[in-house]
Amino acid sequence: MTIAAESKLRPVAAPSAYRLWLRNSRASGVLLVLLLLCLWEASARFGIVQSVNWPPFSAVMASLVAGLVDGELLPVFLSTLWRMARGYAIGCAIAVPLGFAIALWRPVRMALLPTIELLRPIPVPAIIPPLIFLLGLGDSLRLFAIATATFFPVALNTFAGVRSIEPIYTQVARTFGVPRWTALRRVVFPAALPFILAGLRTSLGLAFIVTVIAEMIVGQDGIGYYLVAMQFALRAPEMYAGIILVTCAAYLLNRLFVAWEARAIRWARLADTAWGDAA
Amino acid sequence: MPHLRERAIAILAGCLVPAVALLALEIAARSGAVNPTFLPPPSAILDSLRDVVLSGKFALPLGQTLLLLFIGYGIGAFAAICLGVLMGSSRAIYNLLEPLIELLRPLPKPALLPSLILFLGLGAKMEVTIVALGCFFPVLINTLQGVRAVEPTMINTARTFGHGTVAIWRRILLPASAPYILAGMRISLGLGLILVVTAEMISGTGGLGDAILTSQRSFLVKESYAWLVILAVLGLLLTWLFTRLEQRLAFWSGPQAR
Amino acid sequence: MSAAALGDKAASVASPTPAGARLRIDEVSKAFLGPDGGAVEAIGSVSLDIEPGEFLAIVGPSGCGKSTLLQVIAGLMQPSGGKILLGGQDVTGEPAHMVYLFQQYSTSLLPWMTVEANVMFAFNHRLKLGKAEAVARCRAYLAMVGLADFVRHYPWQLSGGMQQRVAIARALAAEPKVLLMDEPFSSVDALTRLDLHALILDLWAAKRFTAVLVTHDVDEAIFLADRVAVLTHRPAALAEVVATKLPRPRRSIETRESPEFLALRHRLLDYLLARGKDGSHASPA
Repeated sequence: MTIAAESKLRPVAAPSAYRLWLRNSRASGVLLVLLLLCLWEASARFGIVQSVNWPPFSAVMASLVAGLVDGELLPVFLSTLWRMARGYAIGCAIAVPLGFAIALWRPVRMALLPTIELLRPIPVPAIIPPLIFLLGLGDSLRLFAIATATFFPVALNTFAGVRSIEPIYTQVARTFGVPRWTALRRVVFPAALPFILAGLRTSLGLAFIVTVIAEMIVGQDGIGYYLVAMQFALRAPEMYAGIILVTCAAYLLNRLFVAWEARAIRWARLADTAWGDAA
Repeated sequence: MPHLRERAIAILAGCLVPAVALLALEIAARSGAVNPTFLPPPSAILDSLRDVVLSGKFALPLGQTLLLLFIGYGIGAFAAICLGVLMGSSRAIYNLLEPLIELLRPLPKPALLPSLILFLGLGAKMEVTIVALGCFFPVLINTLQGVRAVEPTMINTARTFGHGTVAIWRRILLPASAPYILAGMRISLGLGLILVVTAEMISGTGGLGDAILTSQRSFLVKESYAWLVILAVLGLLLTWLFTRLEQRLAFWSGPQAR
Repeated sequence: MSAAALGDKAASVASPTPAGARLRIDEVSKAFLGPDGGAVEAIGSVSLDIEPGEFLAIVGPSGCGKSTLLQVIAGLMQPSGGKILLGGQDVTGEPAHMVYLFQQYSTSLLPWMTVEANVMFAFNHRLKLGKAEAVARCRAYLAMVGLADFVRHYPWQLSGGMQQRVAIARALAAEPKVLLMDEPFSSVDALTRLDLHALILDLWAAKRFTAVLVTHDVDEAIFLADRVAVLTHRPAALAEVVATKLPRPRRSIETRESPEFLALRHRLLDYLLARGKDGSHASPA
């Protein structure tokens, strides 16, 4: 049978717009979420799950709104954010320059990298109790924990990033006789920036986790302590409201970071796709 | 032999900072510059460590932590890989589950601890659950990334040779996405350790986390540091083992997602 | 990379090299560490004198080490033996007044900088001109390659040929005494390549720098150069140096059809295809 004849037997229609939308839409997923929420509400209201720990979704939302508008939830949460921001900033401020130093100077790398790799696997919450004696039960202890947890991934990602920049960039700087510090500033740093920002983004999630943990363990204030307190007081709607708030905040922070990252290294994304097409 | 000399210098340089730090701590603690009840000299910590190890006291907490970690990690990672492969292969399943996962992923898993305590109480069940939940997402995300990164050409080639779906999964999809999956598993290992220790501290029912907290509360400062060292060694060992595993399983790939 | 890779050229640029300096490659050899720890000789021993203002092409079989030789001359790589002298001064390892034009031109243009900033990058750290002056200078060089309208664009917004022209403009903006080109036209399409040939010759005629071109394309080598140096198979050694003796200015079509061009082309291709493999060194390959 000729190819022409065969192809007549099996016409392939281009997918219609509706089919394309169906393929790509998350409608089924959104429906699933809504369904689960209804189940939650129903199971709580109709007593299918009998427990003070299982409030109906509506009660949780009501508590969330109340807590934000005139309750205790918002200030507690903001104090957590402020704490996390400071710890994260301190950790990054030390990690990024150190990452550069380790990548660029062999003596520094030989001296510091083994120690960093040695200390990295220690779970940060474990260092909190012993340090209570040294740093007290206050902000400095928690900031130290957050900064430490942030430090390791950021430093190692910066190090890896600087090492993996295209060698041709430094060769360009060299052939034009650009002095060392200028080259660092105008070539190495921008070239490594995509990697550094990726490291910063992943560390954000870890910083949030450690902030919550530190607040739970140290138990002074913040959303971590609030959640534990609500659990002890058996105030489930407030507890779940807190969890939802934390989730939303984490999601927003991540999106904001991604948007900022995209703007800051617009050139990297566009350059990649442009070269990918040309290649 | 320049090679050996280089290695010797590297090892020496690497030990320099820890050695100096330990020495400084020793002097500071002994001379009273730092209150020795708050920060004991490393030599005292070493003594306490020797006691803990030789007396066999370390075995039970260490074993408990390790067991709970592995069970939680195993469940979480296995479920994540299965789901990741499913979602990566089927558009329909992906569309169905992705919104739910996008909602649950940003939640810092420790925030679930109070809720889990209300349901499961304090103890092993709660600890395993939080570890499983925490380890699930990084592995899932990375598995998805890995599966989607597999060249469709590879799969189509296998199809033209008549391989069935399961065979394709086993022999092409999994090996090709292995580097990504392993990277996700590496992240989850660290996270799992953090979660199990935290859960033990809050739960107070044994394990290394509990040992650290209990000894600190009983003002047995030296012992709390000793437990910390044991935990640090555990972390190091697990990381080293995992890196070796990664090298063996995905030796052919270059640096992947971190 | 390390901080050492960034180098410090400021010193050698400060001391002026006399105009019309001769570039001498003096018994340069280069060996690398092979995968099994043994030495892999890339360049056996090459000695060559390049006259000031000359256009020299270097050809050879693929993988023979021509790019390595060029990088050694440029100071981007240290030779294992021998020296590079510019105007009698040893410039081994210190690129002085020499600019290297990379083969991967698209990656050689820094993507976070506009075209204008890229060109400025070549000279402003040295000359430290005011903003207006520097911009004017950039535009002048970009105009020379016909891209004056694209100053505000980013490199990745331009086509391959245009990117290579920006790279050329940038190289010239540094006012080099010697321009070293590493197969700069190998990844553009054939027609663009002919355009770029004409462009390079015009610029070279105007600026009169010494040009050293490494290429695998014999036609290109003969068309552009005054002399063509032929390297043997690895480890590279100089097999012969031939003068092209073609009249200037070269014409894109006519020169390529002239009997002298074709005769030389025949001779060189014959050598490279048949004898390039064993050449003057008995080689196991």
